[in-house]
Amino acid sequence: MASERRRVLKRVLVANRGEIAVRIIRACREAGIESVAVYSDADARALHVGLADRAERIGPAPALQSYLDIGAVVDAALRSGADAVHPGYGFLSERADFARAVETSGLTFIGPPAVAIERMGSKIGARALMEGAGVPIVPGRTPPDQTDRGIAEAADRIGFPILIKASAGGGGRGMRVVRGADDAVELIAAARREAAAAFGDGTLYVEKRIERPRHVELQVFGDDYGSVVHLFERECSLQRRHQKVVEESPSPALAPAVRERMGAAAIAAAKAAGYRNAGTIEFLLEGEGDEARFYFLEMNTRLQVEHPVTEAVTGVDLVRAQLEVAAGAPLPWAQESLRQRGHAVECRIYAEDPSSNFLPQAGPLLLYREPSGPGIRVDAGVVEGDEIGVNYDPMLAKLIAVAETRPAALQRAIAALKAFPILGIRTNIPFLLRVLQHPDVQRGAAHTSFLDEHLAELTTPAQASAAAIAAAAIAGRTVVRDPVPESIGGAPPSADPWTRLENWGR
Amino acid sequence: MSDQALLLRDAFGAEHRVDTTAEGVRVEGALVRAERQPSGAIRLEDGRVHLAWAVSSGDTRWVFIDGEVFVFETGRPLARRRRESAAQGSLTAPMPATVRQVVVSPGARVQQGDVLLVLEAMKMELPIRAPGDGTVAAVKCRQGELVQAGQELIELEP
Repeated sequence: MASERRRVLKRVLVANRGEIAVRIIRACREAGIESVAVYSDADARALHVGLADRAERIGPAPALQSYLDIGAVVDAALRSGADAVHPGYGFLSERADFARAVETSGLTFIGPPAVAIERMGSKIGARALMEGAGVPIVPGRTPPDQTDRGIAEAADRIGFPILIKASAGGGGRGMRVVRGADDAVELIAAARREAAAAFGDGTLYVEKRIERPRHVELQVFGDDYGSVVHLFERECSLQRRHQKVVEESPSPALAPAVRERMGAAAIAAAKAAGYRNAGTIEFLLEGEGDEARFYFLEMNTRLQVEHPVTEAVTGVDLVRAQLEVAAGAPLPWAQESLRQRGHAVECRIYAEDPSSNFLPQAGPLLLYREPSGPGIRVDAGVVEGDEIGVNYDPMLAKLIAVAETRPAALQRAIAALKAFPILGIRTNIPFLLRVLQHPDVQRGAAHTSFLDEHLAELTTPAQASAAAIAAAAIAGRTVVRDPVPESIGGAPPSADPWTRLENWGR
Repeated sequence: MSDQALLLRDAFGAEHRVDTTAEGVRVEGALVRAERQPSGAIRLEDGRVHLAWAVSSGDTRWVFIDGEVFVFETGRPLARRRRESAAQGSLTAPMPATVRQVVVSPGARVQQGDVLLVLEAMKMELPIRAPGDGTVAAVKCRQGELVQAGQELIELEP
């Protein structure tokens, strides 16, 4: 097409770490694009670093001095000769100043225009924009007086219960539910500290809390030529402290007519934002079936953690499409060609101890074996032998199960979790299994407070069976590990792992 | 494999006596057939078949079976050591973390459940609360300090 403004992407810097960096590096390789990893001192030997064609050190372990340091990341991109930067999710992905710094350096930002991040990043601006575009919104505001008293007064005017959250970002960081004026002071201070630590900006937003909603979000995608499509919904109601734990598509609560209205609203929202590339419009869904009402919550101007469930039911590759659209290609799909087929469930595997108040866990991955089989996908940022530290988000991997029906997808996820041994640090796998097997989840009846309300029954530690004790007895001192070749093309590994790894478990 | 007796302590503090024999493992009298698979997994039969994974690290034994994880100790009773230290009134860091905020000063009267300080690890805040009523005898960490697991943070007196 003569009107297309094509750019060639030859080398992409991936400004992230963990599983999403691995996901993007793989997509680059498939597309014939060179990848550049970045790493802090804590990640010098991380999976994503070894996988990329090149790697650049960007600073010491603390994220503020490495993965959140715009100057360091842009310098690394220029130094490595990259022509584009993919931000992943989290870290700098929703920082308009980062997108702008990338673009003013003459590089392509694989994501929306900086101005769209800015528009949707400001909650107050986004709401006004949505209201103007005819997208339903929840009552709330960013109080101009940001003192404890100013926030408390704003809360009082909206009426308890309210939600307080970071004005600058998503992901549940800094978010608190305040049920009455008595709790307000302590919770406001904590929300502000977390907001400042996570986003470098402690500005708070206060909003009316809709009780027992579902969290349903629409994947949208826009190109340089004004086309925007939606790729249906993801239901993310299984959250704990506003951090998503299990996501699925389709939503068990969505009637076709409501899905169609939400899709249209999501496209209107993205168009109003002047959006380009992959993004997500989050909605709160109140009620079920044809009567359900939905409210715009926020837009995540980036790829989502849970994007694989959309990929599983639509058959598209969202990261590949991000690369193509960033290079100036038109959207690879027309709305009419997109279909939801089957059912997909994603479980986030966290290094945390559910029976100790979900305390993040640090330590060595003495054993880590991923499940596989039809309809099973694991996106991981770690390998066996890695040392899990405390510097970053405790998510180790995502397990995605897809099958023809919802019950079959849940069964497949359950079987796969039971075949996902991780030892050396505690993970939330036992918790995830209790969640997926809970009757309310099986019926598709869970709302956003389900996990918090059922925490006790979902986190009670199990008693060791005779079989578990027997397994411990013969654990011995030997740890078996898959043989790892020294280098590709080097000497073949020993056929017998036992001969190589005696006493590997320290 | 020669016959071998072993005492395993589970996370609840219960002790289990096991004997490893040629046929399998005898757990408090009952025989569980156990066999290492070439994959490294352990196939167990106790009326049902389970595929488990187990590793050891120092005195700790980790087991993954049917989606559950169990940790056993073969050495000194760790839980008892922790309880003793709590009885002496010192509060220790549960994991490596950054001290985000120190709420109390030496001499402060605190009640059970009061937040004494706030740690941050992996971007999550972990409030450290008073286990009982008392007086803060000493604050042994500073805001911004990186503390290690087990490091003493605050000393409380009844």
